[in-house]
Amino acid sequence: MGADRAPAQPPEPPVSDARFLRLREPAFWAYAAIVAATGVYAVSEQALFRRISPTGWALSWLLLAVYSLPVFLAVYFLDLYEREPLSLVFAALVWGAIAATTLAGVANEGWGLVVARAGGPEFASRWTAALTAPWVEETLKAGGVVLIVLLARDEVDDVMDGFVYGAVCGLGFAVVEDVFYFLGVFGGTPSGVLAGFYVRVVSSGLYGHVLFTGLMGMGIAYFAAHRKEEPLHRRVTVASGLFLAAVSGHLLWNSPILDLFPRKIQGPGDWLLIPAAVVVKGLPLVGFVAVAVVLARRREHRWLEAALRSEVGSPWLSSVELGVLLDPLARRRSRRDMRVRAGPRAARLLGRLQREQVNLAMLGARPRSEDDPALERQRELCQSLRDALMAMPGAAPAGGRGAGPPLARLP
Amino acid sequence: MDLPPPPAPVTSRPGADGLARKAVPVLVLLAAMALVVFGGFATEGVLSRPVGPPVTVGGLVRVLPLAGWQDGGSTLDTTSVLLSRGSGNLEIHALASPGDATQLLRGYVTRFLEPQARRLSVSSSTQAIRLESGLAAVRIAYVGLFGGVQGQIEGEITAVVAAGGVGAVFDGWAPVGLLHYVLDDIHAMVDTAEVG
Repeated sequence: MGADRAPAQPPEPPVSDARFLRLREPAFWAYAAIVAATGVYAVSEQALFRRISPTGWALSWLLLAVYSLPVFLAVYFLDLYEREPLSLVFAALVWGAIAATTLAGVANEGWGLVVARAGGPEFASRWTAALTAPWVEETLKAGGVVLIVLLARDEVDDVMDGFVYGAVCGLGFAVVEDVFYFLGVFGGTPSGVLAGFYVRVVSSGLYGHVLFTGLMGMGIAYFAAHRKEEPLHRRVTVASGLFLAAVSGHLLWNSPILDLFPRKIQGPGDWLLIPAAVVVKGLPLVGFVAVAVVLARRREHRWLEAALRSEVGSPWLSSVELGVLLDPLARRRSRRDMRVRAGPRAARLLGRLQREQVNLAMLGARPRSEDDPALERQRELCQSLRDALMAMPGAAPAGGRGAGPPLARLP
Repeated sequence: MDLPPPPAPVTSRPGADGLARKAVPVLVLLAAMALVVFGGFATEGVLSRPVGPPVTVGGLVRVLPLAGWQDGGSTLDTTSVLLSRGSGNLEIHALASPGDATQLLRGYVTRFLEPQARRLSVSSSTQAIRLESGLAAVRIAYVGLFGGVQGQIEGEITAVVAAGGVGAVFDGWAPVGLLHYVLDDIHAMVDTAEVG
């Protein structure tokens, strides 16, 4: 193969990631219609904020950009094996920022009236935020994640995928909600915006919508991705349980229970009390989500190994390569080593080979025959990428090609 | 390895059945979201219907109390009634007024509100509204400290004058931060009030 042929050209990458624009899907049109309709209101609200306090508004967005970019990247790269298409991830972000916030504003007001009617003004002043926002906002954010799942079922393979879509949707929601709070509650002056940023972002850290909706996204993805192997009642139980966990975390956060937040800021002690109050309320759910994410990643690790085991020893995957694929650090190290040995082009090609090997696992995991044309095409693609890589000067390892390109030292 | 090119995937337009199958979960989702977004208003609309007989003030002003609003024994005098719901209150005064609604409103603030207040801020501009009966009314907001009440009070006054100089003042108030929770009720009762 490859070594005695002219250097193979690496196959062209896909032309574009157009997986969001699925014009024949009703879910796409539902998404587009709701985002367009709510977008008009969302834009006018931001324009109003900008008119009220141009400096405060600009500072709010600047601070939130500084916060949200690393959070976005952390969530996006949490899915170690198969990164979600960016078009779909951005669709989740936009839904959270525009559709969910706008619809939640309307819904919270309506259900707030019901709480006030049922419980009276004193009760409503203490409990409205806890009894309306959690289930209203989680449901509306979930609506966006469900639309994305309906739009691209083939992209949601495991619970980690749901976590990514959910957390990013929650991030979009949190950013727009924070701008509203900075301007509407903290006064909108630069000092007010900074105070709001300290209270709602610095002190709260990752706790909040990112976690709530990430958790709920895991439930939605579990329901959607395991429809072939898990009975309906189990999928409903898991999805409902995670939804309830998200709503409960949100409810505790909004409720007067365990509320250690200072009523007034009168000195440095009060500023320091805020992060402590956040820890008391937020730590249980942060721990729960951390455990859920670790379990989901282990599950994904086992899944990848099982899906590729039968391919090991073939011209498109060696046992060494599988070991590297299963360890994200080793994958990164292998690309770094390749860059040193054979240059950046070879490192990029190796990255592509690794992605396509993961895609091979995804294709193989779906119920289909062994000689399915799509599976065969994917194997061919992996092999051609591998041949192309091996033909690049310096890319082949010193020890020959016995086990294929051992592209990194195993840890 | 020279494999024959794989057969091109068969693509076809989804049939009507396929489209309907895809549309069903989307429609269910949209219905659920609509329920969440608008269900609160519908539920509140059902819960906040007027209950009981109308309250008549001075024989000239009739108000339909919404569910939860009590006037038992709260009559201030023959021309005034106090309806309460928790810490939310609506005082209704029937007053003769030689002038228009704005003059009645200013007179009420000067003669009734200011003497009771230790500190009072009244909105500088008035809002013109129209009751369901078609009568024109004016509305202002205020916040202040009042004798005998702990903490600040915020309120909203609506004044209206009917034919023949029959005037009505609706003073809705609650402790600061709580008026918001009863304001829709107050507006509903004021908007449907009959004067004259």
